[in-house]
Amino acid sequence: MEVLQTVDLSKHYRSGLFIRKNIVALEKVSLSIEQGEIFGLLGPNGAGKTTFVKLLLSIAHPTSGTATVLGHPLGQRALKEHCGYLPESHRYPGFLTALDTLIFFGRLNGLPESVLKDKAKSLLDMVGLKDWAKVKTRKFSKGMLQRLGLAQALVNDPKLLFLDEPTDGIDPIGRKEIRDLLLRLKGEGTTIFLNSHLLSEVEMMCDRVAILNKGKVVRTGTISELTTQKLSYSIQLSAPVTEELRVRLNQSHFSLEFKDTSLTVTLKDKSELNSIIDTLRADGIGIEGMTQQKTSLEDYFIQLVKGENEL
Amino acid sequence: MRFWGMFRFTIGEALRKGTIIFYFAVATSFLVFFALGIGHSSNDRDMVTIFGAPFGHQSQPGMNVIDFLLIQLHSSSVFWIILFGIFGIAGLIPRMLEKGTIDLFLSKPLTRAELLMARALGAVSGIAVNLIYFFLGIWLIFGLKLGVWHWGFLSSVVYVVYAFVCFFSVVTIVGLITRSAGISIMLAFAFSIISWGLELRENGLYRLWNNVVYHRLLDAIYYLTPQLDAMLDNSSRAIGKNPIVPYPAEFTFMPYLYSFFSTALLYGLSVWYFSRQDY
Repeated sequence: MEVLQTVDLSKHYRSGLFIRKNIVALEKVSLSIEQGEIFGLLGPNGAGKTTFVKLLLSIAHPTSGTATVLGHPLGQRALKEHCGYLPESHRYPGFLTALDTLIFFGRLNGLPESVLKDKAKSLLDMVGLKDWAKVKTRKFSKGMLQRLGLAQALVNDPKLLFLDEPTDGIDPIGRKEIRDLLLRLKGEGTTIFLNSHLLSEVEMMCDRVAILNKGKVVRTGTISELTTQKLSYSIQLSAPVTEELRVRLNQSHFSLEFKDTSLTVTLKDKSELNSIIDTLRADGIGIEGMTQQKTSLEDYFIQLVKGENEL
Repeated sequence: MRFWGMFRFTIGEALRKGTIIFYFAVATSFLVFFALGIGHSSNDRDMVTIFGAPFGHQSQPGMNVIDFLLIQLHSSSVFWIILFGIFGIAGLIPRMLEKGTIDLFLSKPLTRAELLMARALGAVSGIAVNLIYFFLGIWLIFGLKLGVWHWGFLSSVVYVVYAFVCFFSVVTIVGLITRSAGISIMLAFAFSIISWGLELRENGLYRLWNNVVYHRLLDAIYYLTPQLDAMLDNSSRAIGKNPIVPYPAEFTFMPYLYSFFSTALLYGLSVWYFSRQDY
């Protein structure tokens, strides 16, 4: 079941006082997210990731396109009742304690007064701020504010959670705790939409990702779909390739890398693979194994964005 | 629930920032000063004294000295009370719009109209409570020390609070557009002067340029904005007939009625503008 669907969602801003300049923040973004998945939205700074979430939560208004979140069109109160949001830069009233902050946001979410305090306490416990409940938030470090922000986003037990850089400013142990918490929420059926620059983290947590560049979605898929290099193979050989055979293979315009008894090939067409294998076997070199090459999400992301920007 | 959550938070924010507490402290100091200073003359029970000095009986023949004293007090203080109130809370609207705060508020199931109105109501309530405290305090002092329970004076606080709510509509829309507490305060002050100028336009601004279009334009501005000066003057007329004000001294509801519509218009425009903005 889809919990979020956007169709050609666009956002253009106008800047300049006298000479109005049109700035494209998002251009015809169409995405859909299934219930219970962790979806990552990646992109360089200014790609439009935060704008996309702001449109979905009616913090900004789309220029064109449509979207439904949890079955509701944008702007409906019912939509926000079941969503949680941790913005990238969030500011909490410094005069409130952590407990009072959560009680306040609970009230804004319409939680009954009778449950507010207990709910706030259990959330502080969940994010590791139990001992800081009575401390004013102005004394909190960035990491602690981030944890409080996460608790705030969870105060209404959301079905869909939007997190913009949730582990920003948090130490490695804290990151692990937050990852575990998000995976636990996923296990309980919460859908999580994650904006992050930390690609390794996205790789560890997300079921699917979309890559946004200059306001456009340039790739969507599962992590393995994006990181598997479809036409790149590593072949283990029974014997090293002779110099004469190397020359012959290179003349056939294959992109080859030799290292002792292993050979890495990058192909333009999958049929070329059979041709290489045939050539090797004709020269008496056996094939002991073959694996499809994988790249890290980070490498893939950098290659893709660089390539897009060069176009 | 959500509306009152934001309302309570705004009052709390104003309290914690010290604005309302400072205001309360100033009001209390004034009340203590008044309570200690005011009394009857030992020779003449009809004469009011302030720290032993007889007050104003001869200067305004034919006028009740209590009325005169209360009108003097009201006229000289109410404008400044309102202006300082605006100084204290003008920042509450721009602070709500700061990056990181507005994102959180708008992501909650609260309409923008509810959010803005809860914020504005919370802001004016803090000052309104102080105004009521101040007026009630003066009224009690006069009642307990002079035996005069002046209901006209007590009722005037309703008009003053009303004028403040109207005045805050200007601060609200300016705060939304400029997102600056400083500019909101400056423009509020400028508006209070403009309001005074518009009130006296027939004997002042009209004479600057004898042009019908210009005159009608001034009239339009006068009727489309809260009539602060007229409302404050009128509120003093609720105390008693005021011979020191040269223009019609009778109390009239008209400025409150006109200001009701102009205030509703300004709050409406604020909601419309706020609802259309991207944050």
